[in-house]
Amino acid sequence: MSEPYDTRVTRRDTVTRLAAAGLAAGAVGAGALFFHDRRRVEASARLIPDWRVGASDQHPAVAAANGPDPAANVRRAMAPLGGMERFVRRGESVLIKPNVGWDRIPEQAANTDPDVVAELVRLCRAAGAARVVVTDISCNDPRRCFARSGISAAAAAAGAEVIESHRLAMVPAALTGLAAGIEVVEELLKADRVINVPVVKHHSLSRVTLGMKNWYGVLGTGRNRLHQSIDRSIAELGAAFRPTLTVVDATRVLLRNGPQGGSLNDVKAVNAVAAGTDPVLCDAWGAAQLGHVPESLPFIELAQQRGLGRADLKAVRQV
Amino acid sequence: MSWTRRLRVLYQGFFLALFLWLLARLAAGDPRDLPFTAYFHANPLAAVGVTGAAGTLPGALIWAVALILVTIVFGRVFCGWICPLGTLQHLSSRLLSPRSRRESLKVNRYRRWYALKTYILAALLAAALAGSLQTGLLDPLSLLARGLASGLWPMLPGGKPVPGGWLAAALLLSILIASRFIPRLFCRAFCPMGALLGIFARFALFRIRRSGEACNSCTLCTFACQGADEPLGEHRVSECHVCLNCTDSCADGVISYRFLAPAAEAPARPDLSRRYLVGSTLGALAVAPLLQAAGGGRGSARAELIRPPGALAENEFLQRCIKCSLCQQACPTNALHPAIGRAGVEGFWTPVLIPRRGWCEFACTRCGEVCPTGAIAELTTARKTGYDGAPPVRIGTAFVDQGRCLPWAMSTPCIVCEEMCPTSPKAIWLDEAIEPGRDGRSVRLQRPRVDPELCVGCGICENRCPVGELAAIRVTSVGESRDPLNRMIAATPS
Repeated sequence: MSEPYDTRVTRRDTVTRLAAAGLAAGAVGAGALFFHDRRRVEASARLIPDWRVGASDQHPAVAAANGPDPAANVRRAMAPLGGMERFVRRGESVLIKPNVGWDRIPEQAANTDPDVVAELVRLCRAAGAARVVVTDISCNDPRRCFARSGISAAAAAAGAEVIESHRLAMVPAALTGLAAGIEVVEELLKADRVINVPVVKHHSLSRVTLGMKNWYGVLGTGRNRLHQSIDRSIAELGAAFRPTLTVVDATRVLLRNGPQGGSLNDVKAVNAVAAGTDPVLCDAWGAAQLGHVPESLPFIELAQQRGLGRADLKAVRQV
Repeated sequence: MSWTRRLRVLYQGFFLALFLWLLARLAAGDPRDLPFTAYFHANPLAAVGVTGAAGTLPGALIWAVALILVTIVFGRVFCGWICPLGTLQHLSSRLLSPRSRRESLKVNRYRRWYALKTYILAALLAAALAGSLQTGLLDPLSLLARGLASGLWPMLPGGKPVPGGWLAAALLLSILIASRFIPRLFCRAFCPMGALLGIFARFALFRIRRSGEACNSCTLCTFACQGADEPLGEHRVSECHVCLNCTDSCADGVISYRFLAPAAEAPARPDLSRRYLVGSTLGALAVAPLLQAAGGGRGSARAELIRPPGALAENEFLQRCIKCSLCQQACPTNALHPAIGRAGVEGFWTPVLIPRRGWCEFACTRCGEVCPTGAIAELTTARKTGYDGAPPVRIGTAFVDQGRCLPWAMSTPCIVCEEMCPTSPKAIWLDEAIEPGRDGRSVRLQRPRVDPELCVGCGICENRCPVGELAAIRVTSVGESRDPLNRMIAATPS
């Protein structure tokens, strides 16, 4: 090798060069084998758990309470259902999903009443919940929505962990009936129990927005395409998300210019709260607070047909 | 290390940390009423520039006088003790540099071309007098805020992209890297703020004094001289950053920083060439009208030039905006971005609202609260929304693109824009229509229409429109409160 014109190759040289080439080839081959099909990428979507507790004949499906104090209404509506102890066990983690969609104050009735949310947090805490999360995906700037709705302060004071939308992690989840690849709040999939707390409001497309529509608030990218067949989408969400409890806030209801209102002229004080395990009946009760016949609303009809519940207002226990 | 040097390092660390903390809190949307604008209010370059351009010294910019007074007493302590960009260059020149002692001596000598910063200052002030305020391009505070918050922070996890932000980052990084080769090169040769303070530092009551008798010319004082102001030769007080490295390093205690120290003899060579000074001034006076004519929003309104709520009329706005980007950092929905080309050449870093990136939150008044010069007037929520009874502050008007809108063009129900509309009653209303579908069945549709009397141009409709890249409802600047000529419909008589 050292002599440029010497064409003879020594034995040692042959061996080392063959060995080096072999090593290089071996390394490439071993590397290829090592990485070959090492990780299969699949379009994986998380399943949405069922958060319901066992059905019971002793308790009504929905109970409603009227009165000037929203917190007392919550307690009184919960009593015939068997109290929060029936739904939340010691050490469980609970997620409460109010409507915190808008940069509005409580008097404007665009968001769930903060006292209703805070009372639910207290009841969950008293029932022994280890962790109570209050969250929603706001339409306006979440910092403003959570602050001005009064929900951040009220829920945190009652012992909840309030997570504003911009801190939420999202994961793709399986919603079979809807467009593929919708994102869902990850925190929701971690919770043992979920309480859906909508506020009763007018909506220009579905006419009312209540509990099943409230699930729009846990969806990420793509949610603004669900409006294109809104009634079917709402029923689909009702089938996909099976909450432990639905608590409908009709402390103040929004009659017009929903779902965010703005003018106090559009707000009516009803001073009522309903709680229950039948999401369709809860929505039917809420629709009745706005003067609608529940069966006249296509999404309630669709939900009934799918067997998600029964919109029979006579089954609501008034306390 | 002597106590004077320790104290200076302490000041530099404090003011750098405070600047970074305030900027980070602002960008994070901290709801507290922190003094986000403090550095910018005490900014003499902005104060002189705005006064020159607008003929008025707005509001809290009067604090700049305090900094000028400090300079007249102590010299350019702002540069050596306070300026966060100066401190960052100081750090990079120390951390990145492999300089030997001999090289240090060489790079810290005064060079004649360091006078460039004064020509830059002259040009910027001449342009300001001609009505085009460009001091913000090289203002160390504006430049640092932009470079960090618009340029570098978007690269952090969770950071939001800023179109054109890389330009701000590139300028900042170039300055820091240049400091590796020549310490504080930007301060010495380019910074118009330093040049301005240098003018006042000529009167400094406290200054560096070398008593010649005992000095053995060992050059120790020059090794770490930040301002390249020749403590050993004819000391240049208008270049001196008062870093006090020279007093500290003098082995014989010959150099001191003293009250009413006898002024050094005038340097043999003049700092400035009169020819260059006049040339840069006249050049700027000639270029300013060119910039103003280069397709900005002056004279004729531009559709895409949506300014923040409360922004003054375009002429007045450009006379006050120092391109500090605080409004852009403060915007909670990330709607405000550098204009780049939308506001002409002279509006390069001024803020515009891009609805597809963010919308103007109806009750939010944060951009005006943090504008240090009043280019964006401070509004109350009641004033902005019109809840006080007067017309609301409008920044534009939304238009439905009937060729793209789902109910209008695709016979598909959708009301997202109407749902999002924040005014009460809603500016977007739904026109019900029965339309035949292709298969013969008719479809009931609610087609969005915009009421220009009610629309404030906030852009949340455009932001949330489900139609992919180019929304089917879009906001343009027509109808903006700040420009009474940018209108479309004659007001209805009331």
